Amino acid sequence: MLSLTLQALFSGVLAGGYYAMVAVGLALVFGTMRIINLAHGELVLLAAYVAYAAESQYGLNPVMAIPFALVIVGASAALVYALLSRIDQDREINSLILTFGLGIILTNAVLMIWAADIHSTTAPWFQESVVVADTLFAMRSEVVFFVGGLVLMAGVHGWLNHSWQGRAVRALSSNRNAAKLMGVNPRRTEILSFLVAALLATFAGIAIYTGKTIFPSLGHVMTVKAFIITVLAGMGSIPGVLIGAVMIGCIESLTVTYVSASLQELAGMILFLVVLFVMPSGLFGGRKAIAR
Amino acid sequence: MVRMTGLMTAAVALTLALGAPGVADAKDYLLGSQLPLSGNLARVGQGMSEGIAVAVDLANKQYAGKHTFKVTTIDDETSPAKGVAAVEKLIAQGVVALTGGYGSNIIGPASEAAQKAGMVYMTSGGVTPDLTGRGYKTFFRINNTEGYAKAMIGLLGDMQVKKVSVVYLNKEATSNLAKQVQADLTAKGVTVGMHEFDGATSDFKPLLNKVKLQDRPDAIAMVGYENDYVGVLRAAKVLKPDVKAVVGVWSLATAQMAKEFPDLMENVYGTSMLPYPVEFTQPEAIEFSKTYARLFNKEPDYLGQFGYVQTKLLIEAVLRADEAGTLDKGGLADELRKTDAQTLIGRVTFDEKGDNPNFSHRMGQHQQGKVVLVWPPEAANGKMNFPARPW
Repeated sequence: MLSLTLQALFSGVLAGGYYAMVAVGLALVFGTMRIINLAHGELVLLAAYVAYAAESQYGLNPVMAIPFALVIVGASAALVYALLSRIDQDREINSLILTFGLGIILTNAVLMIWAADIHSTTAPWFQESVVVADTLFAMRSEVVFFVGGLVLMAGVHGWLNHSWQGRAVRALSSNRNAAKLMGVNPRRTEILSFLVAALLATFAGIAIYTGKTIFPSLGHVMTVKAFIITVLAGMGSIPGVLIGAVMIGCIESLTVTYVSASLQELAGMILFLVVLFVMPSGLFGGRKAIAR
Repeated sequence: MVRMTGLMTAAVALTLALGAPGVADAKDYLLGSQLPLSGNLARVGQGMSEGIAVAVDLANKQYAGKHTFKVTTIDDETSPAKGVAAVEKLIAQGVVALTGGYGSNIIGPASEAAQKAGMVYMTSGGVTPDLTGRGYKTFFRINNTEGYAKAMIGLLGDMQVKKVSVVYLNKEATSNLAKQVQADLTAKGVTVGMHEFDGATSDFKPLLNKVKLQDRPDAIAMVGYENDYVGVLRAAKVLKPDVKAVVGVWSLATAQMAKEFPDLMENVYGTSMLPYPVEFTQPEAIEFSKTYARLFNKEPDYLGQFGYVQTKLLIEAVLRADEAGTLDKGGLADELRKTDAQTLIGRVTFDEKGDNPNFSHRMGQHQQGKVVLVWPPEAANGKMNFPARPW
């Protein structure tokens, strides 16, 4: 019983790490621009497919594909931003429609280029076991990218709190007009947020490619999960995203272990609804959440 | 001389008017196909679509100069509602019959729309008993849950395993098959542990840990799709449960899986009509394989094979019904019920519900990058590695 519980929690925390990597980019963009980028999951997917292409066609280790994926995903994110920035009216709703449409275009582009087959890395190193105290089991890729993801998220958090550009992002999130009066260039700051989100999406995509399977419709699934976590955490709260993601991961994993794997998504949604019922702004919510 | 020339000209004109043999009967037949070419089932939909294309290509070759066949395909995007819309659109375009469909939850409403229009719907993509249980006159399929269960049970029976954990996806077709396997194994005195999972599951370690610590089975039986198998096998590779075999069903013992996941597949069993590399001996099978390679530049897989067989049988029935003058009068379903053919998947006949009672699958095992047929013994082209795990 104890072994089952510990493994469930361990798996849940690692799964939460994956979820957080995807969700932080979404939260960052929302925090800066008050826009939900519904194509974010597809950007993650694009990074994963770039890693697949690099590995299958050029024999590159997926980690070595990060720079290439970063360029392609960064360019795609910049394109998404360029299109979003042309919206003058009803920015919230129109940006949802636009990014949803861009997500569909990206999914179909992936389908046309790489077909519908499932893929994952063929490098066995990533699938080797990591065993802790003969009780906790994980794949090497899960542990490596969980730790790497934590470092990256800590870096983003530090950047937001201690760099001039990071402070500009927070200022823009807090009060756009006041930030402009203080010399913050909104466009430059917003595109910077998109590029940082692209960096996170790239890392998440490589992590998913090495630890899970990828297929064209996965992007939408990731966007929905990231959106739930972002709302659960409190729209725009980056530290909250990690905690929310781990909570979702653990509740899903415990449900698999003690109830049924069929109900894991339902369990996550129940947690989400209960939290919103008790704390309508989410766990760490509030209008100025990104400033924390 | 002039009179003679006139007579000859008249004779030629009369011959052309009355028709050289077959020319007057020449017809273009348009088939409709509703398939998931995008969405979660895009991979399997594409596979079946390729088999359909091969059947149409070969029919055009066989009946060259007499009849032509075309197929119009509409992507249902793995959505039941869009499946219905696709069927209605194809019927409006004047197709003579429908071939395609993947996923029981999509085929159900799509074939219902076809039934309402009196249009024949032929498939190999939905195996749940509920589909034929409706008793639709226009619904036909060449495979079914029983055929997959027979193969899985037969193999596990030969292995003489005493405890089996069934890990299955909570969709209609997979749940039905898993429950049939459970019932059949239980009847044989085998202890069965059932573990359902959702399609969104990507981390199977908590589930496999239950299998390892609580069930302690001799074999793990997986009923799902490709990404599920990869997830289960990766989790099992990490947790290393003490089993003698890992068995699955469709989409597992394939060339694609052997190529994409060589480190995971060794010794894994799955349903397979064909070994890999493909070995064909019958003339029809060789022709099918050559045409498939010509059209798609790869070896055929089971999806293509099923798509080919269902469409070939449909085309033959369309021609018979047309010759009998009943094609426009609902006679196609009656002609299909008269089908009794030896095909690439074995004998096919249709019962009153449109099911093929002869269907029984075969089991293959991944062995060093190949898929070796290991069950039934009469179809085997190699010995099975047992006990043997993928890790």
